[in-house]
Amino acid sequence: MKTREWLNAHPVKALTVAGDCSLQDAARLLLDDPEGRDLFVLDAEGQVCGHLGFWHVATLLLAELRPTHSLRELVERITLGSVADHMDDHVMCAGVDDHINDILYQHDLFQQHVERRVEDIPVVDEQHRLLGVIRLSDLLRDAIAGNDSPKTLNASRTE
Amino acid sequence: MEILLIGLLMLTGLMLGTLGSYLFRAPRVVGYILAGVLFAPDFLGESLGVETTEWAQPIIAVTLGIIAYLIGGAVTASQLRQLGWTIVTATMGKVTGSFVAVLVGFSLFGLAVTDVPGWSLALLLAAIATTTAPAAIVAIIHQYRARGPLTTTLLGMVALDDVLALVIFSLVLAAMESTGFAAAIPAVIWEIIAAIGFGAAGGYVIERIARHLPEQELKLVALLGAIILLTGLAKAWHFSPLLAAMALGFSTRLFAGAHSEPLFRPLEQLQEVVFVLFFTVAGLHFAPAVVLSHAWLIIMYFLLRAGGQIVGAMVGARLAGAPRVVSHNVGLVMLPQGGIAIGMALMLTNVPNLEASALLIVNIVTATTLLTETLGAVATRFGLARAGELGQATETNKMRGAT
Repeated sequence: MKTREWLNAHPVKALTVAGDCSLQDAARLLLDDPEGRDLFVLDAEGQVCGHLGFWHVATLLLAELRPTHSLRELVERITLGSVADHMDDHVMCAGVDDHINDILYQHDLFQQHVERRVEDIPVVDEQHRLLGVIRLSDLLRDAIAGNDSPKTLNASRTE
Repeated sequence: MEILLIGLLMLTGLMLGTLGSYLFRAPRVVGYILAGVLFAPDFLGESLGVETTEWAQPIIAVTLGIIAYLIGGAVTASQLRQLGWTIVTATMGKVTGSFVAVLVGFSLFGLAVTDVPGWSLALLLAAIATTTAPAAIVAIIHQYRARGPLTTTLLGMVALDDVLALVIFSLVLAAMESTGFAAAIPAVIWEIIAAIGFGAAGGYVIERIARHLPEQELKLVALLGAIILLTGLAKAWHFSPLLAAMALGFSTRLFAGAHSEPLFRPLEQLQEVVFVLFFTVAGLHFAPAVVLSHAWLIIMYFLLRAGGQIVGAMVGARLAGAPRVVSHNVGLVMLPQGGIAIGMALMLTNVPNLEASALLIVNIVTATTLLTETLGAVATRFGLARAGELGQATETNKMRGAT
């Protein structure tokens, strides 16, 4: 199945934010959407330029300083700054004509989660503008339901 | 035998450190140092066939490089701006105060009683005196849930002052290694320019390479390789390995932008291992006879460093218009000194012409670390209590809950 078809079948509202937004405002956006775990940062042209996850925002705003924290983490927590100061600017994006299985094959989701705690995969057009997101929970739900398991996806691709 | 000793040092250090912390609430570094003392050549080390600690030099050089890399990448220019002018001037005042006080004090009183050449003892101790132990200070803040303007200033300062300390130590070491004043100037200029140049270029290359290394494990190989390579080049081409590693950290953070975490996290996880090695190896050098015969030098170093940084930080903070609660306490709460000072002192044991002073300096710094990690922690708590900031984190959270 292509991502374009997936987005039609599983419409999900992507949470977006500007880079100069405060972390508190970013947290409010995330809390307003109980299922939203990822914020995508858009530049002036509407292109995806960064990602900030719920876990990252929550730890920046809530976590107490501990002696085990590194100097980098310590400075990060006392100079909160804006979304742009903390966002991850290497965002794994999928194109509209990509196949779902190719995305799972090319990107190590486990590593993505360990490093960046990404749960939504953004889908972008040729100009890198955000069209929607593929939610990991939807992929998982389909996989265990067997309706759209990787085997089925492979089959639909080879047909 | 050395490999056996390293294993024993790490595990014994871990055991004594955690037991001391759990049973007596003593800082873990006390246990680490005691583990080193236990395996010193004068004690159990002899039965293990370990008579010297020269084998530890490559380990110290590389691990100090890791620490310098992490310090270099700790603060970005925009974070520095956010930290504010008070923190910058107070840090500069604190570093200058401790450096000048120890330098002047040891120049006037210290040289007459030691057999070390010229100004070396005074200069090296003054440079080492500028360091602090962030972990020890954050531990107090965490334990007593401190919050307020002094705590914020303090946290900003501990992040900054080790940057300055590494720069000062590198410059002093460059000057000490050259022969004569005329030779010192070009040597120091080369040490700085080459170190910054190689470090900055290395940061750019590492960041580019890391883009093609998705796994953290591979990034760790690249980072460790770069630090070891840079340390080796520094030795071969006579530039400062510490400045180079710090420049590597700074430029890696700069080029990686917001995506820098994967380039620091793997090495940050090694930090405690590095400090266990520093403290236990310092314990190996610990000679009770040297400490007892130079006890007054240790007390002098402790008092001069404390006095210098209290006055210096106060002047620096007042210049930036900091409130009295900050300026009058900020030097006092930064007394703890630890791993970086020990690492610097250990590095000296491998510097030609400085062997005479190195053993004495390692013992002075190790003994002072024990003092500052215990008495210094009390001073930190006292300063925060005097500022009325102990327990304020709990109060703030309660107020948040109420609203």
